[in-house]
Amino acid sequence: MNNKLKIYRAMHDLTQEQMADQIGVSRQTVIAIENNKYLPSLGLAFKISKLFGVAIEEIFTYKGGANES
Amino acid sequence: MLHYVSMNRKKYNQFRVIVTFFVSAIVVLAVLSDSYLLSIAGVVTGLIFMALVRSKAKIKIDEREKTIREKAAQLTYAIFAPTLGIGAFLLLIPYQKISPVFAQGEFVYLESLGMIFAYLALFLITLYAISYYFLNRKFGGDVHE
Repeated sequence: MNNKLKIYRAMHDLTQEQMADQIGVSRQTVIAIENNKYLPSLGLAFKISKLFGVAIEEIFTYKGGANES
Repeated sequence: MLHYVSMNRKKYNQFRVIVTFFVSAIVVLAVLSDSYLLSIAGVVTGLIFMALVRSKAKIKIDEREKTIREKAAQLTYAIFAPTLGIGAFLLLIPYQKISPVFAQGEFVYLESLGMIFAYLALFLITLYAISYYFLNRKFGGDVHE
C-alpha cells in the first residue's frame, strides 16, 4: 500500500502534530502511516480523506502483495 | 477544586519513570528493613497515583497502539502457554522411579511445582478460549444468514 499523505499534508500546510490532533491519533501514528509502517483502519482512512477533502483512493493506492497487513 | 493537568505522552512517560524509580526504591528499602507492609503500601500507592495521573492526563490510545498491544498479547500467549505446558510436563516426569536421588530432599517439591504449572497452563488456555468465544460473538462470528 502506497500513500500520498506527506504530499497532501504539505499542500494543506499541516504539521504532523496538527494532523494527528485533527484525526484523533498520536503523532507516532501519522509518522508510521507516512512511512508505510502501519496501515490505517478503514475508519481512519475515511477521516484522513475527509480532512483533505478528497477520495480515499486519491491518498491510498493498493499495490497488492502477500505481505500486506 | 480539581484542575485539568495538561500532559502529553512524553511527559507522562517521564512521570511514569520517576514514579517507578521511587516505588522501586521504597520496595528495596522495605525489603532490606524486613517491612513487607511498607513494600505493599509503596506498590499500591504507586499504582493508585499512576491511575489518577492517567485519568487526569487523558492519554490518547489510538488504533496503532491497540494493534501493538494485541500483537504483544498474542506473542506473550504464544510463548508463555507452551513454556508452562512443557515445564509442567518435564516436572511431572516420575524422576523418583528413574533414580532414588530424586526421591529425597528438595526434589520432592518438583512434582508439586509441576502440578501448579499444569493448572496454570490449563487456566491460561481456558481463559483464552472463553475470551475468544465472547469476542467472536461480539464481532458477529456466529451470525448465520
